[in-house]
Amino acid sequence: MSVAILTDITRCIGCLECVAACKREYNLEVDVPRRWQNNDGLSAENWTSVLHKPGPHYIRKQCRHCLEPACASACPVGALHQTDIGAVMYENDKCLGCRYCMMACPYGIPRYDWDEQVPYVRKCILCHDKVKAGGQPACTSVCPTEATIFGDRAELLAEAHKRIKENPGKYIDHVWGEHEVGGTSVLYISDINLDFLCYKPNMKTSLPTTTEAAMKSVPVAFVGMGGVMLGLNWIIKRRQKLKEGEAPEGDEQ
Amino acid sequence: MNRVHVVKTILWALVGLGLAVAISRFAFGLGATTNLTDATPWGLWIGFDVMAGVALAAGGFVITAVFYMMRRKEFHPMVRPAVLTAFLGYVAVVFSLLVDLGLPWNIWHMMIYWNPHSPLFEVGWCVMLYTTVLLLEFSPVPLESTSRYAKIRTFLMKFRFPLVLLGIMLSTLHQSSLGSLFLIMPFKLHPLWYTKILPILFFISAVGLGLMMVSFESLVSGWIYRKKPETHLVAKLGKAAVWVLGVFLIVRFVDLGIAGKLGLIFAGSWESFLFVAEILIMAVIPMIIFANPATRNRVGWQWAGSFMVVFGAVFNRINVGGLTMVSTTGDAYFPSWMEFAISFGVVSFMILIFLFAIEKFHIWEEQPRELEADPHAKPRFSRAGEVWLGAPAVAGRTKYSFAFVLALAIGFAIMPGKKLHSGGIENVPVEAARGGDTLYVDGNRDGYGVAFKHEFHIDTLGGDQSCVRCHHMNMPMDFASGCFNCHSQMYQAVDAFKHDWHASPSGGNVACNECHAEGENRTAASAKSCESCHTDLIPAGATIEIESYMAPAYTDAMHDMCIGCHREVNQQRAELPEQKDLALCGTCHTTAGPEYLRADVRERLKRPEFNRVVMPGLSLEDGK
Amino acid sequence: MEALLDFAQGPLFRLTFAIMILGLLRILILDIVGMVEAYRKAGDKSIPWGLTISRTLEWLFPVKRILNHRPIYSIISILFHIGLIITPIFLFAHVRLWEQGVGFGWWTLSPQVADTLTITTIVFGLLLFLGRVGVSRARALSRPQDYLWPVLLIIPFISGYLCANMGVSPAVYQASMLVHVLSGELIFVALPFTKIAHCVLMPFSQLVSVLAWKFPARVDEDVATTLDKKGAPV
Repeated sequence: MSVAILTDITRCIGCLECVAACKREYNLEVDVPRRWQNNDGLSAENWTSVLHKPGPHYIRKQCRHCLEPACASACPVGALHQTDIGAVMYENDKCLGCRYCMMACPYGIPRYDWDEQVPYVRKCILCHDKVKAGGQPACTSVCPTEATIFGDRAELLAEAHKRIKENPGKYIDHVWGEHEVGGTSVLYISDINLDFLCYKPNMKTSLPTTTEAAMKSVPVAFVGMGGVMLGLNWIIKRRQKLKEGEAPEGDEQ
Repeated sequence: MNRVHVVKTILWALVGLGLAVAISRFAFGLGATTNLTDATPWGLWIGFDVMAGVALAAGGFVITAVFYMMRRKEFHPMVRPAVLTAFLGYVAVVFSLLVDLGLPWNIWHMMIYWNPHSPLFEVGWCVMLYTTVLLLEFSPVPLESTSRYAKIRTFLMKFRFPLVLLGIMLSTLHQSSLGSLFLIMPFKLHPLWYTKILPILFFISAVGLGLMMVSFESLVSGWIYRKKPETHLVAKLGKAAVWVLGVFLIVRFVDLGIAGKLGLIFAGSWESFLFVAEILIMAVIPMIIFANPATRNRVGWQWAGSFMVVFGAVFNRINVGGLTMVSTTGDAYFPSWMEFAISFGVVSFMILIFLFAIEKFHIWEEQPRELEADPHAKPRFSRAGEVWLGAPAVAGRTKYSFAFVLALAIGFAIMPGKKLHSGGIENVPVEAARGGDTLYVDGNRDGYGVAFKHEFHIDTLGGDQSCVRCHHMNMPMDFASGCFNCHSQMYQAVDAFKHDWHASPSGGNVACNECHAEGENRTAASAKSCESCHTDLIPAGATIEIESYMAPAYTDAMHDMCIGCHREVNQQRAELPEQKDLALCGTCHTTAGPEYLRADVRERLKRPEFNRVVMPGLSLEDGK
Repeated sequence: MEALLDFAQGPLFRLTFAIMILGLLRILILDIVGMVEAYRKAGDKSIPWGLTISRTLEWLFPVKRILNHRPIYSIISILFHIGLIITPIFLFAHVRLWEQGVGFGWWTLSPQVADTLTITTIVFGLLLFLGRVGVSRARALSRPQDYLWPVLLIIPFISGYLCANMGVSPAVYQASMLVHVLSGELIFVALPFTKIAHCVLMPFSQLVSVLAWKFPARVDEDVATTLDKKGAPV
């Protein structure tokens, strides 16, 4: 089963209940604006935030839980990994703090405990444990207008397309998260363009595949370079031998 | 002081400064020492120390390939310095990583938790393996100084060829995999640098850089020890570098051409400028220098050419590592001085080890001389020890240790005194964002939460229509105005009790015992309470107990220590202006002259906004 | 004045204090390394440990010296040292500053004892200075820094006493506090690089003298070369 969250921007009233619910759920501290924060409300203590765009439009920002997560593919120790329901989880105990996940995320989601001596990466984990126990994430459970809803990904996709079709002119005919970077578990339908949520809009390629070719050619390059070097050595040795008519001395370092 | 002493003294000072910063980095965390942000999680320590450090270590595998594999015997004098440089380069990378990683004590996790999909996993393993290989490759050199280790040495020498081969193979992987790291960021890296063949480009440029790094290092260390430069060897390396850099340029431009990105070079953007500078410095100009026999054999041109390749390649790594991502992330990162201090400190430490090794071991064909202290020097008594124990074994010992200690002390002194830490906030779950009465907010943005009476503020500011007064009013994305937007004076340090001021009217310091109990230490604890003189200080029936010897600052006072009673008094005196002016001492202390206030407050009093709450588009005074 | 005082009590204090601690560590290490080197070079490796240790102890706890040699000078000097070391470390006000700055404090002197010690230090410091000026034998042995030190060392005591006990106006108070802080910091900085470093080198001084008299093998040639008299008959 692959679960998902569908957020309908036209329904959001910007009440921040989801943000508060998330903070209650994970006992997050009061947020303090810091020098290192992106100006989007997300922080090590805010795993979801609501952006305000003129209109007024309120856009909830959170981890997109990509179907093929770049962060999980990038993490050298597998501290970030995808669970069977599609949530991208983080394990404190494995992390070594390289922050490659933060570099690799196309949505710029993971946040860091910059002010801690023992810092961890922080982001939405789709309330994995609650979902596993048959519940739904804290944020979707409190939404008063059902702007953000939880369910099976296929069903929510169908629902999104249904809403777009049934209300012609209300939405932009695009489900954000359906195909981007290989598809995400957090979907949006909207009446304004949401491309600003991503560093580069309409990127269809799944990011883990970008490094696949290079990683697959690693053994080839390793053995190949060894072979080339040995071959080169053998040829040159032989040439020198023929030239001098005697075996070259054992080289000194 | 001779040249060696000057260089080493400076290096020791840099090491001292770096050490001081390293201590503060582990004591206070990354946020307090670096300028890194959530949008720029990799900075100088990755871009320069790791990316460029590995690139600079390329000389080791290039020279061993040339010497052992291609059997070019004439490069023998350069092999040992190059292998040593490579080894120290990797040690520097490990040091920098230990500082940069958030949880460096977990670095060994790479060995047990595998994620073979991750390029960083490959990088990590290459660093571990290649550092070990380099250590084994180099260790016969220090071991040859005593016959005691002859057996180990012979044993190691048996494996030299396979070790060298393994080293070259690992380097190939490692140099290229640094490029693979950035393949996963097609969205961040500028298209002029992002290409699927980034690993190949990294490898080719590493070969060219390796050749020139060996040349540059030979020229510099020769200059330090006033050794005759190895001009003919550098010229040969330069000739080889022309070919390698040529291949690099062809691959680079053909790749750009196929992808149809050549037009971007002339876009006139920040990135196109970086690109042109990088190509010119790293490849084109050095190629011209080393292709021309007239300039190739001249020491001055060799300095210029090799330095340009080294600088250009480091520049390239820094470009890929972050400089060309700035326009995407919109986060202009510039390293803090502390980041520079660590980088320079690590590099300096490695150079010192290099110089030490050159003096102690047989790294050059002839070991540099005149570094021992002169045994016939006239006795010079140390001012501190006042005794002469003979010439010290290391001539510059006193100078180096002095520079080191002084720099370390300076580092401690200029470190930010307060740590950037939100430790003041209790772990209180936030209340519901709306509808609740008392919120626990950090309205001051100072890291400390206060109880905020939301409903009370709604009522006072005008009921249902007043949300907009605080919410969504200032910066976009900022959900509520800070307390200070209305309570504009809360940051003024109001010393409710000013000792100097109390002392002077009561007769200067001769009257200490009027307030402080005699025979005890003169602290707040031994002083009389305020209300023993100011008998009307605490109104009768006040509900809040005030420890009167504490001097409440304005912020404390406003957060319900004083304001309740003051408001009552305010209502009793109808002639007084609105309550917001309670902040002015002169509201009540009508007789106090202007010198009553501190100078900076006096200056601020003159400013027009002082008595008015200024908000964008709104003013409390005219009540719009 | 306030800004200057803030600077002197903040970054400048951190700097000078760090220089003192690190500098003392430095000369201690340099001294020990130098001793090891001298011992290795020495032709005669025997060291009279018993004598060295007993002499060191005699210098550290100078009971015998008071009884035998120049008792008045010895007593003045010892009392001066006691006040000099104990007062600043255990003064209540100083310990309070440590508590505020680093979070821990320690046992403190009562104000009366502290005042007494301050005054004795000032008086005996002045006496030592006068002794150096007045006695011709001492004058002959003295370098400029020897006259300077007793005076410099009592300046923070005088200014500190002024701040703590005398009735002065706030302006004078601040000025004398500034003198107190700055002169103390000057002492911190100078400490590891002048003869006052004996505060940490003291325990080794006897050993150093023993080692300094151990000449390396074939030292005569070296001495001759140093004095530019190579080949001259010794």
